[in-house]
Amino acid sequence: MKILLVEDNERVARFVIKGLREAGHTVDHAGNGRDGLFLAAGEPHDVIVMDRMLPGNIDGLAIIETLRKGGNRTPILILSALDGVDERIKGLRGGGDDYLTKPFAFGELLARVDALGRRGTGAGEAEHMLQVGDLRMDLLTRRVTRGSRAVTLQPREFKLLEYLMRHANQVVTRTMLLEAVWEYNFDPQTNVVDVHISKLRQKLELDSERALVRTVRNAGYMLTDQP
Amino acid sequence: MSRWLRSSPVTWAIGYLMLGLAALVAFAVLLWYAWNVSIFSGREEILHADAQHLAEVFAREGPPGLTAHIETRLRLHIVGERTLLLTDADYRPLAGNLAAWPREIPDGSGTHAVMVDELGGQPVHTLVLRETLPGGYHLLVGRDLGFYLPLERQFAWGLTAAVTFLFVVGVAGALLIRRQLLARVEGMRTTVSAIMAGDLRKRLPEAGSGDEFATLSRTINGMLDHIERLIHGISDVSNSIAHDLRTPLAELRSRLEELSLTRPEPSETFAEIDGAVADVDRVMRIFAALLRLAELDTGARRSGFVQVDAARVAAEVVEFYEPAAEQKGVDFSFETSGVTAVAGDPVLLAQALSNLIDNSLKCVPERGAIRVRVGARADGSVAIEVADNGPGIAAADRPKVTERFYRGDASRGTPGVGLGLSIVDAVAKLHGGVLELIDNHPGLRAQMVLPVTGATSSR
Repeated sequence: MKILLVEDNERVARFVIKGLREAGHTVDHAGNGRDGLFLAAGEPHDVIVMDRMLPGNIDGLAIIETLRKGGNRTPILILSALDGVDERIKGLRGGGDDYLTKPFAFGELLARVDALGRRGTGAGEAEHMLQVGDLRMDLLTRRVTRGSRAVTLQPREFKLLEYLMRHANQVVTRTMLLEAVWEYNFDPQTNVVDVHISKLRQKLELDSERALVRTVRNAGYMLTDQP
Repeated sequence: MSRWLRSSPVTWAIGYLMLGLAALVAFAVLLWYAWNVSIFSGREEILHADAQHLAEVFAREGPPGLTAHIETRLRLHIVGERTLLLTDADYRPLAGNLAAWPREIPDGSGTHAVMVDELGGQPVHTLVLRETLPGGYHLLVGRDLGFYLPLERQFAWGLTAAVTFLFVVGVAGALLIRRQLLARVEGMRTTVSAIMAGDLRKRLPEAGSGDEFATLSRTINGMLDHIERLIHGISDVSNSIAHDLRTPLAELRSRLEELSLTRPEPSETFAEIDGAVADVDRVMRIFAALLRLAELDTGARRSGFVQVDAARVAAEVVEFYEPAAEQKGVDFSFETSGVTAVAGDPVLLAQALSNLIDNSLKCVPERGAIRVRVGARADGSVAIEVADNGPGIAAADRPKVTERFYRGDASRGTPGVGLGLSIVDAVAKLHGGVLELIDNHPGLRAQMVLPVTGATSSR
């Protein structure tokens, strides 16, 4: 994917650029809002990563607003040192698509960028069948099958699996799951998400079947049928 | 003078005074006009009646009779001092108290105000009525206008006195009100200045008649209480940050310093780096919790309150924790009763309940029991309760556990930042409720009691 990073802190920028390039993405970098606007207008990007605090006391939200007014619909991940529910809501209402608080684990950033990039292509939006390997989900009848075997899921498990399938072959973090499946934006102190995943695994992966849900160290989970 | 005019009570009083004066003047003008009209027409009527009476005498007794009548009347010196004159067709006087027909009187009948020279007297300002009698005789009946002059003067004097009196009373009143108001405003100002200078415990006097000033003082005092609490909250948080962030940061620092000094094997180095990242994450978690607490303490989140069914929020949280409880072999039950609607923030309520369940999960033994109950109480308030059969909290420690960063002996060594119950407490308070910690014999029963209206009391 081609990613535009608007971030003035050089150390953070270098760290993010390096990580994104290692993950196989192309990265354009702007150190201030003006260059960011210029680059965004110049050529299409799959995802824009926008810092909120830019040089000259410019709020990244203002840049996002300008982009959106100009008809730019590129998915935007907002990076911000401003925590708090209100700031988050302000960012998402202001035209951002996702919000990540600084400091962040790189795995979290990468997972969210991947999720946004995938969403940008519109894949899976209109379909009612999701499929990963021999795992199938019918969104209309709410039936899940693995091969010829039917898998019975609780509503919340269904929602969890749906999210994983929509983001198949991508890393999804525990925080992303909490936000998307349970709509909680706080951090439960125990490993509750892990327990939910292991319960889901038990239902999806019987003894002879290939593992589908992988644990990605220091990041989260990935649903994939690739070896 | 300018300072004087800038004082708003004085401006208001002067404005009010002006209004009063304007009303008085308008009233006086109207009165003057009405008085004049009635007096004037009254005088005219008297003249007409007099003339008619004389004309009747003339008709009955002829010129000699009227002449005699006039002379008799003039001898009587009736008050009101009338002017009377009867002349023949050629204006030669026959009887009366004028030497000649006054030249200024226009032809035709009707009343006219003219100067006439009375016999042996000064010229007098007189209102006269002329009448032409049968046979060409002319009759002049008049009344001294000066007779009414003292009355007019009295009226003008009365009006002036009234205006002056009103003005003096108004100005005095303005001064008095100004002094009263300024004294109280000045009192407030000095108190507020003292508070601004740093004495946060000072309060405005609330005594008095329970008037608007007392109410205002009470409101301001309420605001000051709130500000004082907020400032103490901030210093609490600062102290807590200083205390509890220092520990993990010190660990982190020594870890990194040691790494830099000893330069161990790569595998060991990476393990240390992972440890350092975990240290930073712990610091960040403490930060997040502190910021959340600070956000709760300001009460700003109350603006986002909606009608929430506490039982539904709880059901979701319970469902969220079920697998974790199951994994630990804990008997995890959930029940609801009654109407459990409250005004609140569903995510915050979920977080508070999640913290309570989290605490219980951490401390109950294997195969312990956790019971979550949401129910309406007799007074209509809604209780969200998490009861466990863990070690509980010693009675002496219970008031302390909601203090920031307090960690009971039982929880030392377990993960967590020691802010869980503080957050529950803050969420309960934000919703106008309380967090109660009760002995469960054995274990702990933590109960958030929320008023049904979610009113903004108790803060």
